[in-house]
Amino acid sequence: MAGMSPSERRLQKELMSLVKEPPPGVSVDPDIAERNLLHWIIDIRGAAGTLYEGERFQLQFKFSNKYPFDSPEVTFVGQNIPVHPHVYSNGHICLSILTDDWSPALSVQSVCLSIMSMLSSCKEKQRPPDNAFYVKTCNKNPKKTKWWYHDDSV
Amino acid sequence: MSSIINAIKSILHSMLQLFWFGKKTITNSLSIYIKTSGGSTISVDLDPTWDIKNVKEIVAPKLGLEPEEVKIIFAGKELGDNITISECDLGQKSILHAVKIKSRPKLPQPRHSLIDEDEEQGSKPLCETLRDTMFSNEDGSRNSANAEDDSSSTKVDKKVHFYVFCPTCKALKHGKLRVRCHFCKSGAFTVHSDPQNWNDVLIPKQITGLCENSPELCANLLDNLEPTFAEFYFKCSEHTSLGEQDQAVPLYLIRPNLSNVPCLACADVSDPVFVFPCPEGHVTCLDCFRQYCITKLNERQFWQHPELGYTLACPAGCVDSFIKEIHHFRLLTDNQYAQYQRFGTEEFVLRSGGVLCPQPGCGMGILVDDPDCMKITCINGCGYVFCRNCLQGYHIGECDSVEDGLKNSGSGGCYSVDPARVADARWDEASKVAIKVLTKPCPKCRTPTERDGGCMHMICTRAGCGFHWCWVCQTDWTRDCMGSHWFG
Repeated sequence: MAGMSPSERRLQKELMSLVKEPPPGVSVDPDIAERNLLHWIIDIRGAAGTLYEGERFQLQFKFSNKYPFDSPEVTFVGQNIPVHPHVYSNGHICLSILTDDWSPALSVQSVCLSIMSMLSSCKEKQRPPDNAFYVKTCNKNPKKTKWWYHDDSV
Repeated sequence: MSSIINAIKSILHSMLQLFWFGKKTITNSLSIYIKTSGGSTISVDLDPTWDIKNVKEIVAPKLGLEPEEVKIIFAGKELGDNITISECDLGQKSILHAVKIKSRPKLPQPRHSLIDEDEEQGSKPLCETLRDTMFSNEDGSRNSANAEDDSSSTKVDKKVHFYVFCPTCKALKHGKLRVRCHFCKSGAFTVHSDPQNWNDVLIPKQITGLCENSPELCANLLDNLEPTFAEFYFKCSEHTSLGEQDQAVPLYLIRPNLSNVPCLACADVSDPVFVFPCPEGHVTCLDCFRQYCITKLNERQFWQHPELGYTLACPAGCVDSFIKEIHHFRLLTDNQYAQYQRFGTEEFVLRSGGVLCPQPGCGMGILVDDPDCMKITCINGCGYVFCRNCLQGYHIGECDSVEDGLKNSGSGGCYSVDPARVADARWDEASKVAIKVLTKPCPKCRTPTERDGGCMHMICTRAGCGFHWCWVCQTDWTRDCMGSHWFG
């Protein structure tokens, strides 16, 4: 691990623990992450007994060299973007810990678990009300969007 | 080769020894000052292997006393006769205090006599008897002495470690704890009890003691209204003491990593570590602490606290976790610390209702007494006269009316040039235009803000402002903004 920056050392450790002891429904392809520690793809499965049971989603994590003092850029990617009131059809997620409420005490694993619980508590599959407008006009990087977080119940 | 050098050394050494007639042989001399109760200072060379009894034998004749009539005080304790010099945490030019033993006054705590050899443990200087575990947090409530394996239990037993910022070395150094009278500042002071935690050391008037310099004077002047208190201070242990004024600031949030806590950020276990003053005591390594400071500094996210100054809270966002001793930011490089000081000063000026001179390269902070005064002159700086509201050159009337402040300059030139060319080749005008296009002032605190892409929902990044505003409307961000022009 010599010669790595502090952010890479931290990511290496997070990757190892995620590969060794992944939380239920979460799995990471270590080969993709090993190739570039600053870019991960994580597979998550919809939990049993929820609207997303049996569905598979892919989360993309991008990290800057200021991680963990700077939050990761997290989006859904791939064919299946969950239909959820806080997830736009381009994969952007409206979740406060991804921007304003980010803390270096959080981790890739805690972000995955937050997103899983956000999906699990959903009662009705629908896109955010402003989905069409947002997707048409927003920046590629969701961190460039200042969200107004509301409605924490969903 | 080295054997030859050693041989020469030993010859030189034995030659030198010839000069020390009746005296004991000094192999590794320590140059020490001894302050007497009379106020005079004696300079002596001591051998670290000697004990305090030897010191008394040297010092007493110089005071016209018998060795039994003298007690030696150092770092809050009367030193026992059989303590050796090397056990006393003395450095070059350290100061011992020699006091004549009077008829012993009544004390809250029974004094152990010098003959009582069993009590030797209590007669070592304070810094030798304290343990790291006591200072693992502010009030000593959490004892991190978990002896899971051998390595950690041996660590726990270690003598206390203090870290200081030394103004002489200009760096983070190991520190030495010293004690003096809170009232008369004399080092001839013995404590009644040992400090048990950081609060005892950092908060004044926690530990009582006896001022041996002039106990009657200190007691009388205080009118017996309060006991004589100990005052704790720190010295750098890595350079020769420059006298009693040579002090260092304790960086008490930097602590030995007794329980091998991994860094919050990089997850490495290192030693020492930075422990944030939050209830959870979040830990980062010193490198990540620096990285955290630099990240926050560049985003101008330090907080101007009314009592503590320009500071930071725990990176995990814990409440009530501001770093109270801002000397911890001396861990930054000189350049970064200079930037920290500049931002801190600017923030203080802005918080106090002042303005910063807008002239490039000036930036002087100006505090204005009259809140209605709009004409500001940069008196101690560049002399620029400007409007407090729009920060352009001073003008009469509404701010927007001075679009072309530069046009009136440079009249009466003797070159004849093409007016069209002149209009294109205006450097100042070009950068002025660029600033106008790229930046807008925060509607609340007027900090010029650049929008480098993203949505129209702006949040002022200046710590303490955090105003939500709309880039298009230049007022509060509303639902309507989100509905009609979130992204332009």
